[in-house]
Amino acid sequence: MLSWQRTAFHFQPQKNWMNDPNGPVFYKGWYHLFYQYNPNGAIWGDIVWGHAVSKDLIHWYHLPLAMVADQWYDIMGVWTGSATILSDGKLMMLYTGSTNESVQVQNLAYPADPSDPLLIKWVKYPGNPVLVPPPGIGAKDFRDPTTAWLTSEGKWRIAIGSRINRTGITFVYDTKDFINYELLRGVLHGVPNTGMWECVDFYPVSTTGEHGLDTSHNGPGVKHVVKASMDDDRHDYYAIGTYHEKNVTWVPDNPEIDVGIGIRYDYGLFYASKTFYDQNKKRRVLWGWIGESDSEIADVKKGWASLQGIPRTVALDTKTGSNLLQWPVEEVDSLRLTSKEFEKIELKPGSVMPLDVGSATQLDIVAEFELDKAALEKTAESNVEFSCSSSEGSAERGALGPFGLLVLADDSLSEQTPVYFYIAKGKDGSLKTYFCTDQSRSSEANDVNKSKYGSFVPVLEGEKFSMRVLVDHSIVEGFAQGGRTTITSRVYPTKAIYGAARVFLFNNATGASVTSSLKAWQMNSAFIRPYPDDDDERHSGTEPTHEVRGSKTKYLGNLLTSSLLFLNARNNFL
Amino acid sequence: MKAILFVFPFVLAVAYFPISQCQNLPLIEQTCKQTPYYGLCVTLLKSDPRSKTAGDVQAIALIMVDIIKAKAGGALQHIEKLKQKYPALRVPLSACKDRFNAIIIGDVPQAVEALTKGDPKFAVDAANDAALEADSCERGFSGKSPITQMNKLNHDISIITASIVKTML
Repeated sequence: MLSWQRTAFHFQPQKNWMNDPNGPVFYKGWYHLFYQYNPNGAIWGDIVWGHAVSKDLIHWYHLPLAMVADQWYDIMGVWTGSATILSDGKLMMLYTGSTNESVQVQNLAYPADPSDPLLIKWVKYPGNPVLVPPPGIGAKDFRDPTTAWLTSEGKWRIAIGSRINRTGITFVYDTKDFINYELLRGVLHGVPNTGMWECVDFYPVSTTGEHGLDTSHNGPGVKHVVKASMDDDRHDYYAIGTYHEKNVTWVPDNPEIDVGIGIRYDYGLFYASKTFYDQNKKRRVLWGWIGESDSEIADVKKGWASLQGIPRTVALDTKTGSNLLQWPVEEVDSLRLTSKEFEKIELKPGSVMPLDVGSATQLDIVAEFELDKAALEKTAESNVEFSCSSSEGSAERGALGPFGLLVLADDSLSEQTPVYFYIAKGKDGSLKTYFCTDQSRSSEANDVNKSKYGSFVPVLEGEKFSMRVLVDHSIVEGFAQGGRTTITSRVYPTKAIYGAARVFLFNNATGASVTSSLKAWQMNSAFIRPYPDDDDERHSGTEPTHEVRGSKTKYLGNLLTSSLLFLNARNNFL
Repeated sequence: MKAILFVFPFVLAVAYFPISQCQNLPLIEQTCKQTPYYGLCVTLLKSDPRSKTAGDVQAIALIMVDIIKAKAGGALQHIEKLKQKYPALRVPLSACKDRFNAIIIGDVPQAVEALTKGDPKFAVDAANDAALEADSCERGFSGKSPITQMNKLNHDISIITASIVKTML
């Protein structure tokens, strides 16, 4: 039921509930993704670790459950954790267990057979738990250990989020063997009134280049990011600052936009995110849990809930120095099929233009926009601070916005999801740009989230307004200005599905024409499926021979399969 | 020996008037103050015998989840009766049946899991969804609902529950 909502190229299990990504790692030629999973239903509960592998972060194979709740120290839940690869290549997994008394403890696990590239079987350290809540900390306020990083003394250091009253904090521990730990004095950092910090992440970013850095990397030309998921408001925040290894502190560059009160990774649905250093391609990759924003009745009917966001590279924005850039991993481009290009389309104020791109439920769109300079200069100032979420969405007409794309729309525009820019002119005459997604008319269903998401996005001198939008049936991900501000939404159209979905350009500004150039690609399916049962292939550790990418014949086979699937789906719909 | 004779009547008196007879007032009232429907919250909890021995907010929250379950079950029974009485409303009534069913098989189990296993935010989600389901049921009648009061009650009980659990975050 509701099968049109399943995505084609985003990671999701075949059925049931998923939440946090766990232990992402590149090991012996394979990318691994573990995840919080309920094997028994489409709601949160009975949580265990699901597992999948991929060669390219896009084409995933489902593997058996990696860990289940079979010990007293994780019987109430095998919760979130992270992987660390040691200098000798050994893989350690630290994760939170909810014990038989619902106490949150940290446990160690490792591969049963380190020579198995698929890491199918896991062993839990017999002496678990390795960490219990420190004195004075609540039994349910101690979870989600990070990947470890090496100190200059040769010890491994991890962070674990917690809280003291309403102050969110992160503890730091040192260990030599992942079994015995020393709680370091104080906390790495804390911010008052932010509540419990879940899924803490801590990693270095280069100030001089876009490449990723190993989690243990430190030295000149490096800043450190502290990230946490706020249990209270269900958003992921990060802040950039300086790490002082000796006295185990981290200081934000700008305390006004500290963790929990400043910048979010994503201004839509995006939580419990976690990065890992991909030593294969020397980049840092970010995973985020994308929940549902429909009602429970739909999840029960369709038998599944949640997606993982498209994996993104994350790096410091060296042009601004004060935010990160996130961008879909380059392997997403391998899904691109046919494209349509549009050059310098002029959109007068109050216009909507259909884009003939063919099928519009699996799209990758890269678009640029320019406003005429005269309009930018002569627009009157406003003293009202704009906000995407409290605005009237794309229906709120300003002099210089909104303008952008309407995705997952139907011909009559009774359903539409605008992804757009809105430029406001402040009191001092300076321009401030906002990037928003408006769900208010995304569906005729009345039990789905209809709010507007978005935030301010820095636009530097000489830059055009640019966005990249990935559309995949029931998920829309927008990336503005090269990934300075991103928005993920779940949308559930009832009409704009399958062959009836359309995409439009629009300009609802009152005082400016907009010129747009864009390219839109049809996106192939990633054919995410169970790893083939053939024992020989599994033991050899090679890819299944019928892998669907690479050579031309495989591409054509791919195209044929996706066309057949599309036609089949259309028939079902009709 | 004399001491026992002296103490014995007191022991009897204490046994005859158990301390648990005093309602768990401060906890109930303090908890209900954090919800938008104080009166309803207090009434519901006071009329549930389990609240007398509830030791913390988590216990109160679990009682509220059980009340959601009971009221949703009652709603299902009532809807079945109404289907006979108002054949013209069969379509929205069937939709309502699905909604209350989702509350019982989805929201309630998730809330109980989240509270007992120690990640209460999922119980907030579940309780908020239960309110949404009741609202959606009501909207299906386009103004001519025979169960407005019932839907409002289910909605309010769910909102009370979500507010209570939110204080645990």
